Amino acid sequence: MNNAQAPKVKKDSKNKIRVEFDRTPLIDRLRAKFLNLYTVKRVVWYLFRFLLLLGVSYIILFPFFSKVSSSFMSETDFVDVTVRLIPKSPTLQTYEAIITENSYFKAFGNTLVLSLVCAVLQTFICCFIGYGFAKFKFKGSGALFLLVIFTMIVPHSTLKLSMFLHFKDFDILGILGIFNKLGVLERPGIPLLDTNWPLWIMSATGLAYKNGLFIFLMRQFYRGIPDELEESAYLDGSGVFKTFFTIIIPLSVTMIVTVFMFSFCWQWTDTFYSSLFYTQTGPLLLNRIIKIPDSLAELTEASSSALFGAAVKNTCGILIIIPLVIMYLFGQKYIVQGIERSGITG
Amino acid sequence: MNKVIDKKVAPKKNKKPASLDAKKARAGWIFVLPFILGFVLIYLPIIINSIRFSFSEIRILTEGGYELEFVGLTNYSNAIFVDPGFTQALVAGMKQLIIDIPCIVFFSLFIAIILNQKILGRAAFRAIFFIPVILTTGLIGQIDANNAMLQNMQSGSANMGLGEEESATSQILSVVDVQQLFANMAIGQGLVKYVVDAVNSIFDIVNRCGVQMLIFLSGLQSISPAIYESCSIDGASGWETFWKVTLPMVSPMILVNTIYTVIDAFTASKNTVMAYIDNVYSSQVGGNVLSSAMSWMYFMLVIAIIGIVAAILSTFVFYQRRD
Repeated sequence: MNNAQAPKVKKDSKNKIRVEFDRTPLIDRLRAKFLNLYTVKRVVWYLFRFLLLLGVSYIILFPFFSKVSSSFMSETDFVDVTVRLIPKSPTLQTYEAIITENSYFKAFGNTLVLSLVCAVLQTFICCFIGYGFAKFKFKGSGALFLLVIFTMIVPHSTLKLSMFLHFKDFDILGILGIFNKLGVLERPGIPLLDTNWPLWIMSATGLAYKNGLFIFLMRQFYRGIPDELEESAYLDGSGVFKTFFTIIIPLSVTMIVTVFMFSFCWQWTDTFYSSLFYTQTGPLLLNRIIKIPDSLAELTEASSSALFGAAVKNTCGILIIIPLVIMYLFGQKYIVQGIERSGITG
Repeated sequence: MNKVIDKKVAPKKNKKPASLDAKKARAGWIFVLPFILGFVLIYLPIIINSIRFSFSEIRILTEGGYELEFVGLTNYSNAIFVDPGFTQALVAGMKQLIIDIPCIVFFSLFIAIILNQKILGRAAFRAIFFIPVILTTGLIGQIDANNAMLQNMQSGSANMGLGEEESATSQILSVVDVQQLFANMAIGQGLVKYVVDAVNSIFDIVNRCGVQMLIFLSGLQSISPAIYESCSIDGASGWETFWKVTLPMVSPMILVNTIYTVIDAFTASKNTVMAYIDNVYSSQVGGNVLSSAMSWMYFMLVIAIIGIVAAILSTFVFYQRRD
């Protein structure tokens, strides 16, 4: 630049001037722009991040790929060492056997009814409770919220026995027990085992699996909504509930979808409650179809390794999560959005 | 004049309808009512019964109902002194907890920060990272847990047809490699093993990070971009910005996440203590009351741990003052 001559200024017309000067060559300019430590650092960091994410994504996705591919393999493929991910003799017999012999559709229907009602109830109730905690100041709200956290901390397996007995003879505050002692009723409560009622009751009162977390998430989300919005609604003569249903609920669709997906999926794949409240004679749920179908039993024993048996069980797993995968494909953008908008602070 | 006005106002005050605050408080109670009802009518009896059972013998009657016989602390002393494996399982479980928690919290924070930055295919990566929260729970986790095939896959090898010798050699990292790498550094054996174990159980860790990642992401989103802008104008590097801005701003979330991780880790059915208690519940005679005694002891221990962790962490937590 030192030996560059002073720029010449030419007057083109009345309102236009042109300046001529020696530009540094393109290569030098590019070098100055890109070959400095700052840019190099950024590029390296970008590549590092990208590769890391790619690697972890691979770790997450690979089991699913290999499960799907192994579900199409026939038993000979498991003995063949050269077969890795792509089956040599693809077959649908595993799927057929599971669907027909393990009565997949019956279990599917039962679980769908159970999970759908549970998820809708949980989502709505947690919304309601979360809004109550977020926007209203009343005496004891802090203590009540601590109780919500408490229900989240106490693991339900600690309460296994007493939960079982509570719903074996369901009773509210011992009222029915008194009738029993008076001889009016035969049993000291309503037997609710093998029905969907225990889970529905717990969902309707915000006590089911991880509902404390849902209430917490909803509360944080509603705290992020400015109070002015509701105040203007109140000024326009809308009541508290009308405001909630017409203004707040539409605003929180993303969070509602998130909570709904969590509750539905966790109920769908649940084993704890479905083995606690349902006996062998009760309605068939998805957790009981994970077994090797009779027509395949011989093959799994014959093929010496346990791999084929494992693959059959994996296929059961795939059949179970198919609806969840479809739902996730449609709902995942809501999860990300919903989380982005809830400013959670401790 | 003043007196007259006072008299006029005073009777009106009594007739006045409830103030806005009182109305709102009432509405608040109505919103929270489902939880209160459930807690008082269903949860409290269950909790109280569970505590009662842990102090009693139980006989479940065939025609419905049950009989209790108060036996004092017998169940508790049985759990500690008579039962062969409980204390061992407890110690092992605690050790596992202490190892797992920092790993999960830091990993989820790290991934959340990366997912929060601009990068090619960010939406796709986010969608992939939340898959385990939705899909690898309960049943699927149970199928995976006792699955020889998956163990092979987790250790990074695609060859399912091969036996166990293969899987042992195809781990992502082995202790020996890392030791050679760090041979001349003054890093303890324990730390090396810890890192290697963490890398090899990455599948497990990623699976358990989902909710924590969501919470961290939302926390990062709530940091105002103006702060980062002023930092970069003042010439702070990314590294400095992380320590001086990001970390203090997400520190409340670190507290929340640590507590959540403790709760999640110790209520998970994979947990050694939980598995042991479940086993006692279903296998032994009188195991049902013994297991409630055990789980209450376990619960107390974990409450103590949560208390300690919260006390330590809350001294470092920075709350932004809000106006």
